[in-house]
Amino acid sequence: MIALHATLAEPQHFSAPEKTIFLALILASVALFFQRFGPVLKKILQSKKDPGFTLTPIGRRTWDFFSEVLCQSKVIRQRPLPGLAHAFVFWSFLAFALVTLNHCAVGFGIGFLHPKGQGISGLFSRFYFYLAAAFAITCAISITGLFIRRFFLRPKWFGKEVSYESGLIAFLIFALMVTYLAAFFITDASPYAHVLWWLHTLTLLAFLPVIPHTKHLHLVLSPVTVFLSRGKFSDIPPLVGDEDFGLVAGQDLTQIVSLQAYSCVECGRCTEHCPAANTGKALNPKEIILGVRAYLNEIGPATEEPLLGKHNSQEAVFQCTTCGACEFQCPVGIEHLPIIVGLRRGAVNTGAWENDYGSKLFNQLERGSNALGIGAVERDKFNQKESLPIFDGTQEYCLWLGCMGAYDPKGREIVSSFARVMNYLGTSYGVLKKEKCTGDPVRRLGNDLVFQQLAEANLETLAQNKVKKIVSICPHCVRTIQEDWKAYGTPPEIEHHSEFMARHIDKLPQAQDKEKIVFHDPCYLGRYRNVYDEPRQLVQISGTLVEAPRHRERSFCCGAGGGLAFLGEESGERVSHVRAKELIETGATTIGTACPFCNTMFRDALAASETPAPQLLDIAQLVARSLPVDNKA
Amino acid sequence: MKIIVAIKQVPDRDAPVRIDAAGKWIEESDLQFTMNEPDAYALEEALRLKEAHGGEVIVLSAGPERVGATIREALAKGADRAIHISAEDLGTRDALGVAKLLAEAVKSEFGPESPDLILTGLQSEDLGLGQTGVILAELLNLPHASLILHVEKTDSGLKVKRELEAGWFQEIELPTPAVLTIQSGGNKLRYATLMGIKKAKTKEMRVAAAEQLSSKTPPTAVLEKIALPSKQRSTQILPGTPKEAAAALVEKLKFEVRVL
Ligand code: SF4
Ligand code: SF4
Repeated sequence: MIALHATLAEPQHFSAPEKTIFLALILASVALFFQRFGPVLKKILQSKKDPGFTLTPIGRRTWDFFSEVLCQSKVIRQRPLPGLAHAFVFWSFLAFALVTLNHCAVGFGIGFLHPKGQGISGLFSRFYFYLAAAFAITCAISITGLFIRRFFLRPKWFGKEVSYESGLIAFLIFALMVTYLAAFFITDASPYAHVLWWLHTLTLLAFLPVIPHTKHLHLVLSPVTVFLSRGKFSDIPPLVGDEDFGLVAGQDLTQIVSLQAYSCVECGRCTEHCPAANTGKALNPKEIILGVRAYLNEIGPATEEPLLGKHNSQEAVFQCTTCGACEFQCPVGIEHLPIIVGLRRGAVNTGAWENDYGSKLFNQLERGSNALGIGAVERDKFNQKESLPIFDGTQEYCLWLGCMGAYDPKGREIVSSFARVMNYLGTSYGVLKKEKCTGDPVRRLGNDLVFQQLAEANLETLAQNKVKKIVSICPHCVRTIQEDWKAYGTPPEIEHHSEFMARHIDKLPQAQDKEKIVFHDPCYLGRYRNVYDEPRQLVQISGTLVEAPRHRERSFCCGAGGGLAFLGEESGERVSHVRAKELIETGATTIGTACPFCNTMFRDALAASETPAPQLLDIAQLVARSLPVDNKA
Repeated sequence: MKIIVAIKQVPDRDAPVRIDAAGKWIEESDLQFTMNEPDAYALEEALRLKEAHGGEVIVLSAGPERVGATIREALAKGADRAIHISAEDLGTRDALGVAKLLAEAVKSEFGPESPDLILTGLQSEDLGLGQTGVILAELLNLPHASLILHVEKTDSGLKVKRELEAGWFQEIELPTPAVLTIQSGGNKLRYATLMGIKKAKTKEMRVAAAEQLSSKTPPTAVLEKIALPSKQRSTQILPGTPKEAAAALVEKLKFEVRVL
């Protein structure tokens, strides 16, 4: 009869042949583990050293490790149910470390946990075994749930192929838990004690070599990946020396890139959120990472074989909007943007990328001042027409217009609305006599030559004009000036107009009409800058805020980023149309944006929409609506 | 194929043009300079020919030291080497004077045999005389064709496509060596790359002083005075319903502006 016993059964007296077999099996299992893990490690270590990499700030790294690995924060937050199930499996593994060590020690007669022992040691052992049992139960339930999800519910981002290795792993984990728990139902003396011990042992020894041979390699690598990640969002590393053009060939893969490529657990979270993958493009961020891994496996680091070709396609790499959803989502700390932008740099800096729109944009920015290819006189005319004061060093803010603000009709409306708000608040500001594109589109497209020219020219203008503080209506300008220009100098302080206006919200009038406004989070304001609340506060004084299904850090791109606004027709469905439809379906009468690029994308998408389209306004326009006509407080 | 591309550096289109104190030239101090656009197309055509048939592309440019930047850009895009005719006084030479400098530089480089092809832009974006290339051909005693959009190498020489008025084109054949002046827009321009710029540093750039190439002859045409175009605005508002206004607009575009 089976009965639950107060303690875990531990078989006694292992014979010498049994011990020998056990030892041999351990050695075999470890050997099989290293047979695969060794080469992986070698490939990572053979990769190029990361230029400028430092272990500091160690505090940030420790915190990321604690939060993302130990607490599984990202795993849970972005996919709560399966995330929690995964977390329980992970925590059980941690709890089982000691149990497993003891289990093996028992085989050699040197077990150190004594469930039947006296005093503190016995007490601790019993407590620990119960604790592990509790974990084992949750783990068994969780892994069953995950198994059902993977094999029966089959979310589409897992891809069409059924992953048998996942099934095998789930089975092994389940078997480990069951063979552990079963030992509570027998006594030490039971003839089954040995059998059970061996079953648990064999499962364990089978599990070990499976790890490096499957995506479960992440068990070993991802904690290291999270700890060593660059940490900053979309952190594009500097090019070092005369031979560095980005990710051109295997020899350009750095240790961090290779480590990340081997850490991918193929969960498909990146793909689930990718605007390109969701609109029928060739790009799939998971496949990009797996492409790099396949390249490393087949060709290896330190080679001159091009990275774009068999394993990753140029077409896919240039379909990325750099929205960052993938990098934000990845639970194992893979940083897609430095890789995708790195591959683009490799293609553009060597001239391998041939694209009529791209060449036109590059030539325009090499010769002219803005990405729209319009003469700079048009900017002067706009400044005069709007009577925008010229920055002369006495004003508090330099109002950075950006290409869209200076040349695009909608962008200009945003600038003039924001200027009205600043006038109303009595803030002193001025615009520069001349400005060049910040280089955002060329930076994201990987043209380091033009980007450097633009960044340096602008930094010089700002320094000559003694600019201390900048405010801009464009999140792309804000990001590029603040982060990307650092490679070439020290940019002045900069903020987005949503941050500026939110700071003065007490002085801004409230709208009487509480129409429903849905706010679209621009990628470069949200995920890139972590600004989610400020524009919402502004929407709330202008109407009633409604949220789209995908909002805040899960916001879905408008399709313009990464230079794509300038690259002509997309293949597949248009990203902007998909997002516009989602925004329309909220039933809001106005769509609020905070980025002139989102604005222009939605303007076109709304014009093409069959349903009556809501209004489209920037937060500056929303705020300016409620200002008195004569603009006096 | 040995191809020479003559390139001019001109003020950037966005640069604020002001007239200098003497009223005879523009104030150059706060200008930015760039490659004359038709010359950029000439370079592109040359690079394409080289890619298809092999050979060498040599860039030739006259002007003060600042011209070096434009020459390097051409080298970065793929030209093999360059000759810089250093001349501080280009503004005081007329098209003939400049063409003489170019011709002498070509002769000094190649001696009696000439390169297979000499390309240059149809005209410059600053002066727009459209003369230099044609005079150069005369000085070198070579056949020439102007307004060229496309060049094709044939067994006997070249087949070129010329742009005529009103959407008409002409195809002609001519022997090599020849001089062609290239119209903008025939090709898509390639972009300069980081790798190109780095390689350009190691490419040969020979400097030849203008004085040593040809003695200065008094210009046949002298610039008396330059002036900025006066602003003229004639906005017309077409009255009536949108339909009537549209009809009136088409009428005007057809018969007054003649763009339709
Ligand atoms: S950045 Fe955005 S578009 Fe690019 S791969 Fe990632 S999710 Fe897709
Ligand atoms: S890259 Fe990250 S998010 Fe994408 S499949 Fe791999 S582990 Fe998952």
